[in-house]
Amino acid sequence: MTQDAKSREGVPEQPNPLMLEGIEFVEFATTKPQALGQVLETMGFCPIACHRSREVTLYRQGEMNVVVNAHPDDARVTATHGGKPVLSAVAFRTRDAGRAMARCIERGAWSATSHAGAMELCMPAIQGPSGSRFYFVDRWREFSVFDIDFVSIPGVNPHPPAIGGMGFFGLVQYVGIERSNDWIAFYKELFGFSFVPDEQRFGIMPKGHLMRSPCGSFMWQLVEPDAWALEMDLEPESLRRIGLGVQDVSEVVDKLKARGVGFVDNASLHPGDRGALTRTQLGSVSFELVHQPQP
Amino acid sequence: MNLLDEFGMDTITLAGPLEAKLAAMTDAGFAQVMLSARDVVGYPGGVSAAAAAVKASGLRATGFQVLRDFEGLSGHLHQYKVDIAQAMLEMCAAMGSKVLLACSSTSRHATDDPEAIARDLRKLAMMAVPLGIRVAYEALSWGRHVSEFTTAWDLVSRADCPNLGLGMDSFHVFAANTALDAIEDLDPERIFLVQLSDFMWQETPTFEDRITTARTFRVFPGEGVHSEALADLVLRLDRLGYRGDYSFEVFNEDYQQLPLNVVAQRAKRSARWLAESVLHRSAPLPRRSMSSAC
Repeated sequence: MTQDAKSREGVPEQPNPLMLEGIEFVEFATTKPQALGQVLETMGFCPIACHRSREVTLYRQGEMNVVVNAHPDDARVTATHGGKPVLSAVAFRTRDAGRAMARCIERGAWSATSHAGAMELCMPAIQGPSGSRFYFVDRWREFSVFDIDFVSIPGVNPHPPAIGGMGFFGLVQYVGIERSNDWIAFYKELFGFSFVPDEQRFGIMPKGHLMRSPCGSFMWQLVEPDAWALEMDLEPESLRRIGLGVQDVSEVVDKLKARGVGFVDNASLHPGDRGALTRTQLGSVSFELVHQPQP
Repeated sequence: MNLLDEFGMDTITLAGPLEAKLAAMTDAGFAQVMLSARDVVGYPGGVSAAAAAVKASGLRATGFQVLRDFEGLSGHLHQYKVDIAQAMLEMCAAMGSKVLLACSSTSRHATDDPEAIARDLRKLAMMAVPLGIRVAYEALSWGRHVSEFTTAWDLVSRADCPNLGLGMDSFHVFAANTALDAIEDLDPERIFLVQLSDFMWQETPTFEDRITTARTFRVFPGEGVHSEALADLVLRLDRLGYRGDYSFEVFNEDYQQLPLNVVAQRAKRSARWLAESVLHRSAPLPRRSMSSAC
């Protein structure tokens, strides 16, 4: 059957065009990898492997992988963010990375150049907001992309359990004034994200617009600056925060507090059954806990 | 609020180097400039130095022009134009411009299939999203398949992207003899740019007439034979709710031989005519000094 025949009969496009299946890893770029590593470790992430040729460390907890990239070429981006760590990449699990990449390029994505060295894995990637990257990864079941480019740290459990069953809930992206609709169109067109009605919100940070991945396993939140704060809020568009889903927010808050994690707790925002927000570390790093019922 | 704030000039109207053009515009009292890629790429020191010059001038970038013949192509021609579009978008962003002007295709290789054209415009809009740029699609009056703003609007609507809108150019509206009633069908929020100019004769029946007139003998609003129609066009846009920028895109071989300040003063006279006699904008009241207030 040809493409034309499909269009003629008005068959709707498949709801998950990239065959997304979740988030494989999230990457920070930083010039202070030790300091960021400490923040991640208080949150329960453990360093388990180092990149073969670059100054990059893999942290893991449960199903979540967080990459700390301090390679000079990649960490340079922090200069445009006041030297603070930057969420520089998100890798999406997909059934076919090459096909996902090709579809995005066909629809207007910008290809991101590969950093891979000799004998290293070349992951297809497109450009995200402010020079960030969206990778596509299709090798995560039988073996991991980390098995190729990373060397395990001796004596470390490569699969540390997650505190309170934490898992990726989603990403928060800061966008410019009146830019939400542009980005909503972008994520719908390229990734097949769907818009979540304003009445449906999760956690304690409900501002902005919410989208859901077509695989249903993570959310994407877009937050514009307040119009009244425009002159003060000069932060460029960026990936801003990771959301972590947990079944029992209070239990996880207690466990993290015991590890030294501070939470925002004031008259307008405080930890509750729906969620909690960690205090910002290193000028830009915070995590949002979001209540996520057991599936 | 300055009376001239909503009007600006295109760099293509003036002769000379970019900095002299910017100086002539600021001296005439304009606050914005429509930038041409030719002025930018030919600037000593390149694009970043040109961006610094625009920033130093204090002029706001109205937009950046012009991407040509993008839509409706296929195969290697399409891929070639994607590369060109990306380069234009990068320059547009580097210049601090939030609007890229894209003209309807004149290529005989371009399809007339509206679905394919809309798909390409949608792709262009998606390419512009990460850079924070809006794409203004303008109907050239000699466009191969899209020569009137009504057709361009249909395609913009079909593509349905928030950062894809219409660029209107009074020259092409008059040259194609498009009825102004159709303006009422437009969404003012999706008109991203209005370029204004007139010309000295009534009819441009052939594409060749339109091309020659457009490239050599445009004049400023109020100087040509379509002043009433141009005033009508601007008033209709204003009534519709359009509150965006107006820029004077005046290709004129005589103006290319005149001192820059002379041409800029003609532009200023045109802006005052539009602001005061057509739109009846109020001049800002002089601020009372503290001493007189006490």
